[in-house]
Amino acid sequence: MTRSQRWTWLLSVGALIAGFALLGAACGGKSKSASNKPSSSGGGKNQPFANFRIAYDTGTDYLDPGLSYTVEGWSIMWNVYLPLLGYKHVNGPDGATIVPYLAKAMPKISSDGKTYTLTLRKGLKYSDGTPVKASDFRATIERDYKVDSPGVGFFSNVVGADAFSKTKKGHITGITTNDKTGQITIKLTQPQGDFQNILATEFAALLPPATPAKDQSPHPAPATGPYMIQSYKANKLAVVVRNPQWKSNKATGISEVPNGNPDKMTIDILGDPGVALTRTLKGQDDYDFQQPPPDRLGTLQSKYSNQTKVYTPANTYYFFMNNRVKPFDDVRVRQAVNYAINRQALVRVYGGLANPTENVLPPTYPQYKKHNLYPYNLAKAKKLIAAAGVKGMSITVWNHDRGQDPKATEYLTSVLNSLGFKAKDKIINSSVYWTTIGNQTTKAQIGFADWFQDYPHPLDWFDVLLNGTRITPTHNNNYSNFDDKAVNAKIASLKKQTNLSSSVNAQWAALDKQAMQQAAWAPFINRQFVDTFNSDIDLGCYVNHVLYQFDFATICHK
Amino acid sequence: MAQPATETEFTLDTAAELAAEESGAVIRGRSPWYLAWRRLRRNFVAFAFLGLFVLIVVACILAPLYAHHVAHSGPSNEHVLDTITVHGTKVDVVSKGGVLGGKLVASTPVGPQWFAAGGKYVLGADQLGRDIAVRLLYGGRTSLFVGIVSSLICVVAATILALLAGFYGGWLDFVITRFFDLFYAFPVILLGIALGAALAINGIHLGPIRANSGNIMIPTLVISYVLIPYVGRPLRGQVLSLRQKEFIEAAVAQGAGPLRIMFTELLPNVASSILVFFTLIVANNIVLEAALSFLGAGVQPPTPSWGTLISDGQGLIVTRPWFAIMPGLAIVLTVLALNVFGDGLRDALDPRAKVKIEH
Repeated sequence: MTRSQRWTWLLSVGALIAGFALLGAACGGKSKSASNKPSSSGGGKNQPFANFRIAYDTGTDYLDPGLSYTVEGWSIMWNVYLPLLGYKHVNGPDGATIVPYLAKAMPKISSDGKTYTLTLRKGLKYSDGTPVKASDFRATIERDYKVDSPGVGFFSNVVGADAFSKTKKGHITGITTNDKTGQITIKLTQPQGDFQNILATEFAALLPPATPAKDQSPHPAPATGPYMIQSYKANKLAVVVRNPQWKSNKATGISEVPNGNPDKMTIDILGDPGVALTRTLKGQDDYDFQQPPPDRLGTLQSKYSNQTKVYTPANTYYFFMNNRVKPFDDVRVRQAVNYAINRQALVRVYGGLANPTENVLPPTYPQYKKHNLYPYNLAKAKKLIAAAGVKGMSITVWNHDRGQDPKATEYLTSVLNSLGFKAKDKIINSSVYWTTIGNQTTKAQIGFADWFQDYPHPLDWFDVLLNGTRITPTHNNNYSNFDDKAVNAKIASLKKQTNLSSSVNAQWAALDKQAMQQAAWAPFINRQFVDTFNSDIDLGCYVNHVLYQFDFATICHK
Repeated sequence: MAQPATETEFTLDTAAELAAEESGAVIRGRSPWYLAWRRLRRNFVAFAFLGLFVLIVVACILAPLYAHHVAHSGPSNEHVLDTITVHGTKVDVVSKGGVLGGKLVASTPVGPQWFAAGGKYVLGADQLGRDIAVRLLYGGRTSLFVGIVSSLICVVAATILALLAGFYGGWLDFVITRFFDLFYAFPVILLGIALGAALAINGIHLGPIRANSGNIMIPTLVISYVLIPYVGRPLRGQVLSLRQKEFIEAAVAQGAGPLRIMFTELLPNVASSILVFFTLIVANNIVLEAALSFLGAGVQPPTPSWGTLISDGQGLIVTRPWFAIMPGLAIVLTVLALNVFGDGLRDALDPRAKVKIEH
């Protein structure tokens, strides 16, 4: 062996040893426990404190109330942009109670259920000092149409909204306002049981009429709530501070919106759930919005159990099956998929933090009635596939690239292949996933979807996700393109019910079963989540809202 | 003053050395390839690492045998709810988790069983209960395929462009060189991610070249494409230099056409560089494939590759570190083997050459 060969040999072996040493240090080395330095001074139950730091995820689509349609966006904005009506900031089912926010009182509804009259509180101001006027409501809804908001479908029942959506000129004739009296009148084409919920969405949160009809996330619009967004850099940082006009706004009688304890909220947007968890446990952030990686749940339980909260928001995870595309245009194939997926297996794919389901509605709803139409039966599924004559067909399974979700479709792909299909995954970036599968030109055959309620009402599930009359060429939420005449008619009929009585609830439960008999989807789990805090946070103040989940504003320091 | 050599580091095969070897007999004519082989066979380190590479390749080729006869599972077969018997006890492949008895318990796949489960789950399972050892071997097939095929495409394309640019010069050289410069301006990994992510949605539909999304040829073509300038530019320099040599002038004088000059005069003279480039670029491309797949712009799941396996293992790095370590180790060993052998080959073919991949 020559000198150079010896050197090469020694260097190679040395590099390998160094590599192993580094690896060992990374895996086995005990990290020096960082002291949990307090993030801020002050604290105490319901006492203000300086800064609440949040380790967020990258799922925020916009910080513009007219455009955002994600839990991430809404969780920040519900303390910033107030609608006329809103929800109580409390734990449990009472959080679904609608209360007046910017409106003086709950709306007066005409006897035919088609006219809603509200009055704006007097003396309200936006964070920049501009007075809030009744006509701002109409301007806000019209702006939704101008920015192609994903929420415009909620207002399609307002008289003149459809005509306005085509021209985007003039005004929506069904909304009349009087700036002097503050009166707002909304006329509907037909009664709508969930219209108060719709008035409580962020899409109806008032903005100054001069707000440009384009995404305002980089230059956040003036706010009406206790906080305002000071700055936002997509995928990096959002800073939320107190609204200087809030005291005077609160003095108008907005009793159901708390002042909030943190003077400031710093939202660090992080791509990696492991990093977010570590930062929180080490005291670099106060709250981890992201879900901890499943393999760190053991450590969380053994060392930090008093810093975590487990909760089950209203959600359903499902596989959509496009009824307009082969082979899922055949109900037998859709039923076969429902029989072939083992929901218990999918629970384990999600780290065990989930409950199996076959229902559209989540179990937190009073309309939920568990059905058992599709017990796991691979043999039956194979028979249905054989009867449909689609064995060997190529199938593309769609999903985004975030969290545990891609594993769910890897499981589905494996199941489809075991049924005799030639299935393969198509994983795309989460930021474009929903618009891609919601575009009819994509012709997505089957894939992952989940739904977290926009508002606690069955219409938010059936009308938005399964009403065939609401299928759109783009931004379509009915990913299955499910269009069953009987189901559509039932939705239209139940939509008119303004009171969710027990008999109406029973009809919603029956509709759930009816849709699943047609195998509109393959629902598989209702997922549970974990909120993790650093040790300085007093979880006695923890409020988990039925819709907006953890309420950042009401938290307090020890 | 020149120092007398006390030891030969590697031989240039001077006439004196050859004469000494042949015991003072008349020195026979030796081809450059023979001389290169003579030098290479004395480089035991290069041969040891070549052996390691061959071993890895053979193991990956034999993956189906291992999957069917030892592990009894394919690379994409899920076994989430299955159980295995370890020392007479039934164990869940993926344990039950959730909030059990008021405590948070994670569903965790089994760790390495080595040989306690009759050859099953030697390196453990992933979240879908798939056998990691099986996926590691199949992943190696994917990574090696992408690495080798993309290198072949890259080297062939780069050689043709270099020959055209170096031989013809003028506007053709200008166009090809600017093409190289344009790609040099982009960091390889960013360009790879951009192309890989874009093509992952719609696939490639360019005339006769058609590959649907998820097709393994997409990352292969992306990787070969982004690296063409890194091979083409140095080769073009060599061709430019050779173009001025007397033997080319002689060939022109004898009436040889451009194609003949390029492929029978110039190509053999850059062949040694191409060969060295190829070995080095295979190693480079295996790493690039792993990087792109890790970032979601390369091989698409459920097809295993070493890059996707590292990405999958990331979520279990605390409880099941072997899941991410093993494919990482496979990449390290493969790349190290190829680089050391490539260095040896370079020393053997042209000891004065400084062929290396830089980006």
